[in-house]
Amino acid sequence: MKTPTSEQVRLFLVRNGVLFALIALIAVFGVLNPRFLTVQNIQTILLQISELGLIALPVAFIVMQGTVDMSVGSVATLAAVAGGYTMVATGNPLAGVAVGLAVGVAAGAINGFLVAWVRLNPFVVTLGFLSAWGGLALFLTNGKTVSGLPKSFTALGSLSVLGIRLQIILLILAIALAWFILEHTARGREILAVGGSMRASHLMGLPVEGIKVSTYIVSGGVAAFVGLLLAAKLGAVSPVVGQGLEVDALTVVLLGGVAFEGGSGRISGIVYGLVFVGVLKNGLVILGVSAYLQTVLVGLTLVAAVLLDKTIQQAVGRAIATRGRRQAAAQRPTAAISD
Amino acid sequence: MSTTSGRSEARPAGEEPGGSLPAGSAGLTNPPGTPPRIAFADVSKYFGATVALDGVTFEVAPGEIVGLLGHNGAGKSTLINVASGALQPSTGRMLLDGRFMDSPSPAAMAEAGLCVVSQVPALIPGISILDNLFLGDKRRSTRAQRIERAHAALTEVGLGHLSLRTIASQLSVGERQLVDLARGLVRGDIRILLLDEPTAALGLPETANLHRLVRGFAASGTAVVYVSHRLPDIMDICSRAVVLNAGAVVLDASMDGLSLDDLAAALAPGFTKAESTTATPGEIVLGVHDPDPDGLELEFRAGEVVGIFGMAAGIEFDILTAAFGLGRNRKTTGLTFDLHGRPFTPRSPRQAIRAGVHLVPADRETDGLAHNLSARDNVMLPWFGSYARAGAIGRTTGVAAYEEGRTLFNVQGPPGTHSIDEFSGGNRQKHLIARWTLPRRPELLLLLQPTQGVDVGGKNDIIRAVQEYAAQGMCVVVASSESDEIMRMCHRAYVVYGHRHALIPAGADMEGQLLSTLLALAGDAVSTGGQAS
Repeated sequence: MKTPTSEQVRLFLVRNGVLFALIALIAVFGVLNPRFLTVQNIQTILLQISELGLIALPVAFIVMQGTVDMSVGSVATLAAVAGGYTMVATGNPLAGVAVGLAVGVAAGAINGFLVAWVRLNPFVVTLGFLSAWGGLALFLTNGKTVSGLPKSFTALGSLSVLGIRLQIILLILAIALAWFILEHTARGREILAVGGSMRASHLMGLPVEGIKVSTYIVSGGVAAFVGLLLAAKLGAVSPVVGQGLEVDALTVVLLGGVAFEGGSGRISGIVYGLVFVGVLKNGLVILGVSAYLQTVLVGLTLVAAVLLDKTIQQAVGRAIATRGRRQAAAQRPTAAISD
Repeated sequence: MSTTSGRSEARPAGEEPGGSLPAGSAGLTNPPGTPPRIAFADVSKYFGATVALDGVTFEVAPGEIVGLLGHNGAGKSTLINVASGALQPSTGRMLLDGRFMDSPSPAAMAEAGLCVVSQVPALIPGISILDNLFLGDKRRSTRAQRIERAHAALTEVGLGHLSLRTIASQLSVGERQLVDLARGLVRGDIRILLLDEPTAALGLPETANLHRLVRGFAASGTAVVYVSHRLPDIMDICSRAVVLNAGAVVLDASMDGLSLDDLAAALAPGFTKAESTTATPGEIVLGVHDPDPDGLELEFRAGEVVGIFGMAAGIEFDILTAAFGLGRNRKTTGLTFDLHGRPFTPRSPRQAIRAGVHLVPADRETDGLAHNLSARDNVMLPWFGSYARAGAIGRTTGVAAYEEGRTLFNVQGPPGTHSIDEFSGGNRQKHLIARWTLPRRPELLLLLQPTQGVDVGGKNDIIRAVQEYAAQGMCVVVASSESDEIMRMCHRAYVVYGHRHALIPAGADMEGQLLSTLLALAGDAVSTGGQAS
């Protein structure tokens, strides 16, 4: 057993900073309010974060490939509105789900096309669609809630399997799937390669554009799915149902240690980030903090996450440099030289 | 050694906020015992595993023009960056006029009279010459004073005819370099001039003009460091040569009595002619054709290693990147390729790879490696799609191919699961070549300066592996502007300059022929009015 160096210890602390912060947060809320650490409240938290978690996972892949998707909240809303109208008109939940998902996939494809092929700035493009699709949803509904969804559809929103809510099961399955894709598939490695160096990836013959577009399509599709899931849970489609999801998702992803510049990330970190945001929101509610102030705190968390991202990247760079230098020292005088 | 020549205004640095123009104003003889204008004392610089500078010690006297040579990766750019204050040395120090510079920053070095002119001039493209000249200048001055100073500086560099309101992006590269120089002049005396590959993008008349100016500065006491790949340029202008290899000074001598061969030998120490090297060429794999009947006409056969030798940043790389589907430029428009006798026009690297053409890029760090991934992932990345079963990568996927590569190339370093950045430059390069040969064999392997920035032992490992591939029937093409790399790796070589070429056939004495043939081709191009590459 080798003794870890100070660099390695620092790297470990910084990389798992969110986990330590999460433990501290849980301890604080647990002390302040005994109701916080009950089984029922933990289930509530899990239910509250399930939709956010589902959308944060594809957004994490989007960030890993060196892009960003600010439109997921509005895509979720628009898909739910389109799906909701279809269900009300046809009485067929399947038709509604199909239309909703189609809207999400199409929105993702448009994002991907503009970012990967036309090479527009991903932040600006998806910010544009955040506004456009959100506005379209309000225009179509005239700002009113779409109600009268089929019972067979809304029943899904409160369905439990073996005592566990459907949303939580979906979240756990999605986390496992995302972990498998990132760690054990060619596509996972390719997404990291594209995020790390687009030019090198192109020269390796990787289908850089195709990879980017497909990640955006998945992101759009999942956003639509989440929009429909929220509609089923709430029993109606609010024209602002997905509002703010994109900021929350980005907070989770960056808090989870995914590098904003792309090229690195771990699913475990994203889970920590997700639970952190969930605990923070839930704890504030239990403590009776104003909803407006909650938004302030989540926003500050996003800024803190960016700060953490920077710290992590610096620590990783230092650790690699130290290890590399030791390597070089071990090999000299035959060490290779390059600048 | 050798700080004899020179005339100078023997003034210590930092005593000159007045900013008078230097030319002709000096003239004091350099008294004995005057410290060198700039000196490097045991300067080393490390980047992670790489030792970029290794105890560099040399000095430049006022009035001297010192040529700084070395292969890509020898440490020239790092040394320039240290000298300009952009990088801090890891150990060792820099002295200006005998005084230690404690924490040299770009601003402090500019204040001390240092001016850097690089291959890519540091001007802001969208603003006028006048604004560029005074960018970052904090001295109080009226607009009239500025215009007067700007005019004087521009006239001195031979650009007196240009309007100060000209937008920088409208200038040619040569003109922008001269404006860069004028920027140094408006700040005050140019006491130290660093020229980093200044002629790489210049034609011959512009080069001659720049050299005339540089001589003028030196005559008035400026210490000049002239970095270049181009031996003829160094021979033309420098009074002394300092050669870097593997980050260390391997030669520091007056140009008097130095021949091209001496310089070439210093650039490539430990040079030994490759053994074996009798190829048994098979059928033609790649053909390169030029629509102009006098133009390029190259062929590359299975079972041989063929070099393309050219002037630095010349056409030798562009031919191969075009054949790899990376697009055309001015130099390669109109060239056509055929692969196994059939026309070959890949539109992307992906298509070229599908056709069995693999390319190891010249810039390993930005074009080759994914620094965020492990060493093994870097070798397997292009092939995971075909190695993975149903898209899934297990613990053993590609491990055998990776380990075979480590053995074949004699890779030194941590296990393959570690970050590629923990390996030294030479071992990173071995990974890159292994990527393009082991998981899947190409029919045609294109190597761009494959042993640059690699230590002697690593070079031998790479050469041995590549020649083994050729012996097994692969067609290998090596493009380089370093003659020793071509000599050591190749069975025969083409020398290219613009769209002219000459063949150095198998068995010929390449050592003597590569450089002289290139100079002859370049001379031809000049005498017939051809454009420099």
